[in-house]
Amino acid sequence: MMDLLDLILQPWIFIPLIFPGLTTAFLVLLGIIWAERKIAAKVQMRYGPLYVLKPLGGAIQMIADLLRYLFAEPIIPKDVDKLTFIFAPLILFGLSYLPTIVLPAGPGFTAISSEMSLLILLGLLTLSPVFTMILAWGSNNKFSLIGGLREGYLVTTYEIPLFLSALSMAVLYGTLDITAMVEAQKNVWGIFLNPLAAIVFLVLILISTSKFPFEIAEAESEIVMGPFTEYSGIFYGLVMGASYLKLYVLSLLYALIFLGGWYPLPSFLQNPPFLAGIMVFVKGLVIMFIAIFMRAIYPRYRIDQAIQIGWHKLVPLAILSIFLSLLVVYLGGV
Amino acid sequence: MSEFVETISRSEDGRFLELLIGPQHPASGHMRLVAEVDGDVVVSLRPNLGYVHRSVEKIAEVKKFLQIIPLVERPSLADTTANNLAYVLALERLLGVEPPPRAQYLRTLLAEINRIHSHFYGIGIHGVMIGSSTAFMWAFGDREPLIHLAQELTGARITYSYIIPGGVRRDMPPDFPDKVEKVLRYIERRLEDYDKLYVRNPVVRARLEGVGVLKKEDAIRLGITGPNLRASGVPYDVRKADPYCAYPDIDFNVITREEGDAMARFLVRVGEIRESMKIIRQVLKKMPDGPIFAEKYYKMLPPNLKKYYEETKEVKFPGIFANLRAPAGESVARVEGGRGEVVIYIVSKGGMNPYRFRIVTPSFRNAVLFEHLVRNVRVADIPAIYGSLDYFPPEADR
Amino acid sequence: MAVERVFDHLRAIATGAKYLFLKPRLTLMYPDEVEDLPRGYRGMITYNHETCISCSLCAMVCPADAIKMYLPKEVPEGEKRPKRYPGINYTRCIFCGFCVSICPTFSLQHSTIHDVSFYTFEEQIFRPEEFAKGPPKPQYDKEPVKVRVIPDEERGLRYERV
Ligand code: SF4
Ligand code: SF4
Repeated sequence: MMDLLDLILQPWIFIPLIFPGLTTAFLVLLGIIWAERKIAAKVQMRYGPLYVLKPLGGAIQMIADLLRYLFAEPIIPKDVDKLTFIFAPLILFGLSYLPTIVLPAGPGFTAISSEMSLLILLGLLTLSPVFTMILAWGSNNKFSLIGGLREGYLVTTYEIPLFLSALSMAVLYGTLDITAMVEAQKNVWGIFLNPLAAIVFLVLILISTSKFPFEIAEAESEIVMGPFTEYSGIFYGLVMGASYLKLYVLSLLYALIFLGGWYPLPSFLQNPPFLAGIMVFVKGLVIMFIAIFMRAIYPRYRIDQAIQIGWHKLVPLAILSIFLSLLVVYLGGV
Repeated sequence: MSEFVETISRSEDGRFLELLIGPQHPASGHMRLVAEVDGDVVVSLRPNLGYVHRSVEKIAEVKKFLQIIPLVERPSLADTTANNLAYVLALERLLGVEPPPRAQYLRTLLAEINRIHSHFYGIGIHGVMIGSSTAFMWAFGDREPLIHLAQELTGARITYSYIIPGGVRRDMPPDFPDKVEKVLRYIERRLEDYDKLYVRNPVVRARLEGVGVLKKEDAIRLGITGPNLRASGVPYDVRKADPYCAYPDIDFNVITREEGDAMARFLVRVGEIRESMKIIRQVLKKMPDGPIFAEKYYKMLPPNLKKYYEETKEVKFPGIFANLRAPAGESVARVEGGRGEVVIYIVSKGGMNPYRFRIVTPSFRNAVLFEHLVRNVRVADIPAIYGSLDYFPPEADR
Repeated sequence: MAVERVFDHLRAIATGAKYLFLKPRLTLMYPDEVEDLPRGYRGMITYNHETCISCSLCAMVCPADAIKMYLPKEVPEGEKRPKRYPGINYTRCIFCGFCVSICPTFSLQHSTIHDVSFYTFEEQIFRPEEFAKGPPKPQYDKEPVKVRVIPDEERGLRYERV
């Protein structure tokens, strides 16, 4: 028994499997969609999901929805490209969750410790949109096609400033290792040292996870459900979950590189890394709440406006944030 | 951008994608929009109307005069009073009855309550079409107090059938002005929040400003009506141009804007909500005492029904209403509804049904704007423009 | 201009956040709460067979042809011209209330019942005998709380328990 527990607590098991990996990701997935609906409902003067477990405000609504997705017949239209139609959602979901493995859950508690973990994470993040486009193409539907193309345009828009603003933090801390980046924020959080990068990155989270006001690829009133128009049943559950997983990953990254990770936890509480993990998780949750709260505030931009914001505003700002980092380093560093 | 579009839309065939938006589409309404798109640019858009054609005009020819009242309400469910009122005005002109002043005021009252909630309906649909679920829920939620008021007045939530030849069907309850005032104060307060969260929201402005610009000349040439016309700078309002009911005694402004874009159309509606509240307050203040049912029909009631009417202020129909005959002739009436000018034309040959019945609804006249405005715009502008027209397919199809 | 836009963003977000903490909900929790409708609400029709004089005005005025005059099931003997009485078809009725307004003997009245469901079309046709028994009662899972809807300055509508 003890052995098993020990085994689970090994970082290379714990991280992909428990936190921030599969188990937590799954729970977050259930919780965040419920929270999104609940928050939007509150702003809109209604109740939101309520009747599934009424005493807890319908907290397990998403479990009911999951069951529905599981048992609904996944309809595979006749004219789709079957191979891509079926496998693209699976790979998309898997790839969205994959970046969690390089996230540290506490000081020195990593599954893959690498000098380059930030780069690995960003690299893994870029993979999933490709499959969104593939499944849009495979759906053989005009709305899916337009949605997929929109996704493609957005990828080219957000990827560069996303890299730049993340790398500006790397310049600031002088490392590409996420764990080391957190350690560098022991005294001052990154968001205070380089607020520009923090803001740009937050907006980019919204764009890359297709949250309002950048919910453009799935724009319901324009192109039905964008790339996912033809999907139903569990496949739809997967493609929908994928963007929330991406939000989860990016929010944790945000907590780690901008919000000081497990700091201000005093060092004697950092080991074993439970409290540290909880700290990171809570900070990530805050970012996720901000992202989903935007649904209640904004309508969506047009695709050309979003691209314009990306290239005309975010890219220059991201470049500027690198110079800001250099300035901070020059003035005394961290 | 327009130059760029000009060159590619003339390029070889086959590069355009034909998008069938609707009728099974989240934001098409009961119709199909056939859009030809070139990448993200809409080259042309043809609305395919008639999916909810219900032949109101022909059915009216076999219905008796009173029975047409609920019938004309059906096409425009968010704005039933305008159709009800226009029909009854036309019928009264045929019959030669004049409703008493209090009934005129009550008609105005209901028409304005209805205008506000019809505008909220339009604003809500417009909101969700550009992606703001909050605008949608808020507008539909804030319709509810007004619908509740109308229900207190008439007994039904949407299809009031309140206005009958010779007057209205019942007087307002004694505490009604009080309740109205409360609701109006609530709406006033809420409009400020709309302003902060929606109207001045930079994303909303980015989506609506300069989109779907309707020039003044085009608006007049195409025969556009209602808030869509006024948003292009034409101060035309039937309530001023051809006053009816209590409007001659009421002081109100015609809201216009010069821009003619989607934002202007939206803002004209918001402005009209404010104007309507002004009108409602005046109507309640100036409401004269007296009967609510024309003397001519009142006299036909048997004594016990007369007594009932005096006591409860609820109109009982005289038996003649079941088979009302209108003298031969024709009459026309027009009314400014929430979405624009409603025109009703009746030809009678002296029988129990109209010989010919014609209803021109505002949505029908505004339908032409789909082709006119949605050209060389982005795909995402289709719903933004559609929503700004407050177009209601059943109303156009009739 | 750009600064103004930032403020507009912040103002919009602040307004949304305000609603997160206020609780101005408009939802009526139907069917746990059911509106206690005022007199004069145009619900399903009640019919008093005793006072009906069989004038058939209601059938004549009905715009949806929902009311029809029925012959009694058993015609009393020796009756040459048996009287016809109104029956209603709720698949057609649009609750305009014209029949109620025209009935000279007050035999037809509105009830406030409006939320009844039926399994079949036939169930919704009420011959005079059934019509006289009154509209069917709506069936709720559990007895709902009756609330009165009151216009309110702060919240638009307030629901007050009766
Ligand atoms: S309420 Fe209207 S539709 Fe219903 S039975 Fe009476 S007259 Fe006919
Ligand atoms: S109008 Fe009244 S009295 Fe006449 S038949 Fe109908 S229910 Fe009977």
